[in-house]
Amino acid sequence: MMYTLSTCPWCKKSKNFFTERNIPFEFIDYDKASKEEQQKIREVCSAHGESIAFPFVIIGDDVVVGYNPQKYMKLLES
Amino acid sequence: MSEVTWVYALKETELADGEKKALLISGQKIALIKKGNELFAISNKCVHMECPLSKGELENYVIKCPCHDWRFDIRSGEFLDAKELKVPVYELKVSDGNIYLKMEGENK
Amino acid sequence: MDAEKRKQKLREMFQRVVDPLGYKFSPDEEIVDFLLEQEVMLEKEHGHPFCPCQGLTGDRELDMKIVCPCIPFHRAHFDAMKRCWCGLYVHKDVEDPYSLVQISRSEFEQMQKEGKV
Ligand code: FES
Repeated sequence: MMYTLSTCPWCKKSKNFFTERNIPFEFIDYDKASKEEQQKIREVCSAHGESIAFPFVIIGDDVVVGYNPQKYMKLLES
Repeated sequence: MSEVTWVYALKETELADGEKKALLISGQKIALIKKGNELFAISNKCVHMECPLSKGELENYVIKCPCHDWRFDIRSGEFLDAKELKVPVYELKVSDGNIYLKMEGENK
Repeated sequence: MDAEKRKQKLREMFQRVVDPLGYKFSPDEEIVDFLLEQEVMLEKEHGHPFCPCQGLTGDRELDMKIVCPCIPFHRAHFDAMKRCWCGLYVHKDVEDPYSLVQISRSEFEQMQKEGKV
């Protein structure tokens, strides 16, 4: 699962990372989401001690905030 | 060389306690502020996006820009969240009930 | 005002803000152009040029802290990354913006605790 913003280039890069590797993923663009969904996403961010910053990528039980291909790779391999 | 001149701004009686006035003096946008018995003159252009600080809220010596809430000390012009950023402050004097501002000759 | 002109105007105003803070526009012109364009759009939609990579909350106090350039409100965190969150600005000595990685807030706080920053 991935929380993103439609205006953020690093979110696009994150989506591309998964698409290019044929790894299926779901995403929600925070800025296009409903108020309720936004509220839920903010709660998830806060629960991880994070600010409302994107991309917010959830791989298994782990979370990566920011575009970080090395980290994505590592988590995907494990 | 820049020339220093004292330029008439306003009559002292035209500014009430806590009042802020936007003025154009020697081509510069100025916010003139009265707080108690003290007078302050700062640039009226916020360093962020040039909004008029004269429209902001004054609390103690801090004025809050109406646009995005950046806060400045009216004594030094300093931006409270990053001291490297400042709005210019102008020296002033009162003589015969008239307020004068010290302006540098070269206008930018 | 048309978007291209507004972009230029934002660039001029923001240059004056970030320069004394030790930052410059990213050398990656493409990303700078893209981000400024998003900010012009956000300004049209919401009234302010918000960060394109942080989310609005509807709470003024929080939202004002992500109006571009938001460096003053996240200084230590951004200094540790040598860039701002969206990468519009980098430290003046940075030549290759792709040598920098995003560090999340919780990672940054962890680094602070360990005395690494
Ligand atoms: S213009 Fe003053 S805070 Fe933005």
